[in-house]
Amino acid sequence: MIHLAVAIAFLPYNTLVVAAGVAAVGCAAGVIGTFGVLRKRALVGDAAAHATLVGVACALLLTGQRDLAVLLVGGLLSAMVAIVLLVLIRKFTRTRDDAATAIVLSVSFGLGITLISGMVSRGIPGSGGLERFLLGHTASLTATDALLLGTVSVVGVLCIVVGLKEATMVAFDPDFAAAAGWPAATLDLVLIALIAVMVVVGLPAAGAVLVTALVVIPPAVARQWTERLVPMLVIAGAVGLLSALGGVVLSSLAVQVPTGPVVVLVATAFLILSILVAPCRGILWRTRSVSGLSSVSLTKTEVGAATPRVMERKL
Amino acid sequence: MPRIVNVVLVLSLVGAAWNNSKAASPVRVIATTTVVADLVEQVGGDLVAVESLMADGVDPHSYRATPRDIDRLIRADLIVANGLHLEGKLAELLERIGRKRPFVAVGNAVPKDELLSIGNDLFDPHIWFDAKLWSYCPSTVADALSQLDSKAALHYRQRAEKYSKDLLELDKNVRRKFKKIPQQRRVLITAHDAFRYFGRAYGLEVIGVQGTSTESEAGLADMNQLVELVVQREIPAVFVETSVSDRNVTALIEGAAARGHSVRLGGRLYSDALGPAGGGGDTLEGALLSNVDTIIGALRATSTSQRIVE
Ligand SMILES: [Zn+2]
Repeated sequence: MIHLAVAIAFLPYNTLVVAAGVAAVGCAAGVIGTFGVLRKRALVGDAAAHATLVGVACALLLTGQRDLAVLLVGGLLSAMVAIVLLVLIRKFTRTRDDAATAIVLSVSFGLGITLISGMVSRGIPGSGGLERFLLGHTASLTATDALLLGTVSVVGVLCIVVGLKEATMVAFDPDFAAAAGWPAATLDLVLIALIAVMVVVGLPAAGAVLVTALVVIPPAVARQWTERLVPMLVIAGAVGLLSALGGVVLSSLAVQVPTGPVVVLVATAFLILSILVAPCRGILWRTRSVSGLSSVSLTKTEVGAATPRVMERKL
Repeated sequence: MPRIVNVVLVLSLVGAAWNNSKAASPVRVIATTTVVADLVEQVGGDLVAVESLMADGVDPHSYRATPRDIDRLIRADLIVANGLHLEGKLAELLERIGRKRPFVAVGNAVPKDELLSIGNDLFDPHIWFDAKLWSYCPSTVADALSQLDSKAALHYRQRAEKYSKDLLELDKNVRRKFKKIPQQRRVLITAHDAFRYFGRAYGLEVIGVQGTSTESEAGLADMNQLVELVVQREIPAVFVETSVSDRNVTALIEGAAARGHSVRLGGRLYSDALGPAGGGGDTLEGALLSNVDTIIGALRATSTSQRIVE
């Protein structure tokens, strides 16, 4: 422990700031993303991220400022609109989840790009390269950025902890939840909105593609190891955190290595390892117990179908 | 019969008037950046109407053409670009349009052995803030304009020669100004590597937080190294650029502050784009002088305070 403290004290300031910011995002994205993955809505975050462009462009148009906070608020608003549209499309049409997500993603992204290039060709100051908002700039996070990321991450995780019971019901069995008198639709929207907030706030730290990966990969890792929700949340959070720290430290070892992608590579390494060696679900495990032990039937158990009653009892 | 003669006469008169008005209307030139637009304006004067494809404050490395841009390019009498891959995302489009329309890349006028290589047969495109290198460029613009408007060829050539001379004079002037700054203080740290020619010409060591293009992202290790360098060498000021995000520089200042070294924001430099029309930085000469004053002000202010401490 003392060794660790000494090692941290010797890390350069910028590495510490970036590590703190990205670790917070990684952890919270893992926890919140778990619900997205369980509800088979992994790409909601992606849609939200791409929908930010419209809001970012509008924020610049209205305020004339290219301040990060202003752009983030704009991006968050348009991401929310996109999410509400997504829910509405699903509710009032027969469009499937993934198709609805794809529609919202491509339409909002296209709209954003069109808006920005229109602004650029009209020479609106500050509009050049605005689409790079989606790329993130991990290495140049400042202490203020890290603080903002940390705060939102803590609030996001707290929301999950406080509403764990409700979230669990909606995530595993929305029909049952609705039948039992829960405001399932509202809770569902809140969950999706949380994912969207996490993604938008994580944008400056990691960029759209990478933050989407952080919402998806750690929960996928956790699912390899357990089928119970609370351990799954803990594992996903931990994997997110460790990937972030590992990625930041690794990328600070060599020059000209962008930090965000390394974080995702580390998370992917966790996933590959888990797919190979995790108990019950892992490939190695399954080839060993091919004789048809209980593990095989367990892997076939669909979390979404079988666990809610168990969950209910536990809570 | 006389009626036909009349018609022919009237027609030829109309034709002559048409030709006259055409000769009087200026040559319509589209330049890719504001820097190139300024060059064309200096050479063409009143005989050309120049527009810049990219507005001031726009980053040319990441700029993508809109359908309206393509329309403007196709309608222009002449297209002038910087070349040397400055217009990274436009290069292919320019090449295609350039095969059908009159097109010049002024960067090609600079002798290859005076260009800085950035590997793979590519050269650093930021040639304009070395006034001597830029003085190679007016004559190519004059040649291109003369081909379109041969009657005014002499006008273009004279203006180009005059402007080249002005640039060489400016070059000497800037050199003289930098002599006042002690050698070890002549370090220029900015958001991206737009000033390598400038640094080579005027004896400044130039370090970019980003790469040569704004498209490359700075890694964490690069950031840490830079903080180390700023602290070790007690560099007094770092600079941000008008067309590039200043996030990297902010993180750098913060990192140095954590090590107990306060490095100031030296000011905003013109880099890939000039300032808005009417401001001091709306011509290359104005922007270059403004940069020089900003840099000298920031580096000298601290060198005197340093002396007081000593
Ligand atoms: Zn540049």
